[in-house]
Amino acid sequence: MTHESSAMSIVKEFILDEFLPGEEPSRLTPTTALVSTGILDSLATLKLVTFLEQTFDIQVKAHEADEEHLNTLHTICELVDSKR
Amino acid sequence: MDFAWSEEQTQFRESVKKFALEELNDGLRERDKRSEFNLEGWRKCADFGIHGLPIPIEHGGLGADPLTTVGVLESLGYGCKDNGLVFSINAHMWTLEVPLLDFGSKEQKQRYLPRLCNGSLVGGNAMTEPGSGSDAYSLQTTAERRGDRYVLNGSKTFVSNGGVGDLIIVYATLDRSIGPNGICGFLVERDYPGLQVGRALEKMGLRTSPMAEVFLENCEVPVENRLGREGNGKNLFTHSMNWERACILASAVGAMQRLLETSIRYAKDRKQFGQSIGKFQLVATKLVDMKMRVDQARAALYQTAWLQGKGKSIFLEAALAKLTISENWVRCAEDAIQIRGGYGYMVESEVERELRDALGSRLYSGTSEIQRVLIASLLGL
Repeated sequence: MTHESSAMSIVKEFILDEFLPGEEPSRLTPTTALVSTGILDSLATLKLVTFLEQTFDIQVKAHEADEEHLNTLHTICELVDSKR
Repeated sequence: MDFAWSEEQTQFRESVKKFALEELNDGLRERDKRSEFNLEGWRKCADFGIHGLPIPIEHGGLGADPLTTVGVLESLGYGCKDNGLVFSINAHMWTLEVPLLDFGSKEQKQRYLPRLCNGSLVGGNAMTEPGSGSDAYSLQTTAERRGDRYVLNGSKTFVSNGGVGDLIIVYATLDRSIGPNGICGFLVERDYPGLQVGRALEKMGLRTSPMAEVFLENCEVPVENRLGREGNGKNLFTHSMNWERACILASAVGAMQRLLETSIRYAKDRKQFGQSIGKFQLVATKLVDMKMRVDQARAALYQTAWLQGKGKSIFLEAALAKLTISENWVRCAEDAIQIRGGYGYMVESEVERELRDALGSRLYSGTSEIQRVLIASLLGL
């Protein structure tokens, strides 16, 4: 398993547990929009950022906690990988 | 965690305390009655370096780390009884300077930060609207791009420093249909066409901090004054609130320490039934509770700032600090009045003003109820 896929499965599991309870996992794909669809609201974004920082031992800068970086599993993992 | 102050930090804190005690308190009772802003005190604080504490030196600040910043603000709050003036300075720092520092373009920083740090510009914050308070992102003020400008329309209330602000950060939506993701922040100068400052709002406490309504009627804002990317206002505001919750009540910890010390002195000096009232356990336990609350508040403040200085996210800690300090400040002020009995109820005791000022802290930067909702959520509930 590569770093990318490992990170993606960890983040995916967190998002399913926290923000999409009961959702069929296969429906959350690497390109599913999270911010623009409201899955990640302001509070959920805080929880996700805290999770990413603690799980991957990274720092997410204030301007990075936005739609550009957090809108999909793919962009989230790109952000995580860029900091590891 | 290490909260020990270096010799340099200790000297700075002591110098701020001395400055505040000597320079910022004269005429406060009258200013409070008249709801009058202390512009001279504002300038003195700016000259001392308060306004630019967390801002890097290259932008005109002192470049202090978060722990030093809150330590200095705590000393300011100990020496300065004018909680309204300190609130105005905090609003200026956390709602304008810090978002500008972290989201602003190079040109925006060069243009505004040095003058915000030296106090020649007064910063204001316009987020709240008549129909959107705790539900801040339901704001209705609109922004429409027209060529090299945005045109803003709407009304804002509870605008901190509204009556005296030279530069106000205004939040507006570019597209209501996409909710919070359409919000954007704008740096609006007071003399931009279409900006009108409305009536001053008279408050219960923090009366020396001006607050006003602001109306935007086809207010034209140059594109270069958009702060951050389009639609990034939610992120901008969250960042601003995070700093504000972490730091805005640092001065309250100093105020609580002052209340504790003066209450102990009063309890020792005041004689009833042939002895100091502090000898009565019902009075003494109030002072013990005050001490406990000051220490709780200080620990929450320092822990949050220390973590922030280490680059950790502090969403949970900032909300906890804000909740702890505001609730404890109110209780301390109540106890300070109760210990003084009828004298504490008199305006000339200057304790009743502390309670009026403290009560506001349960409301601004998110009410205590909102902090609890946030904390519960971050605990995974």
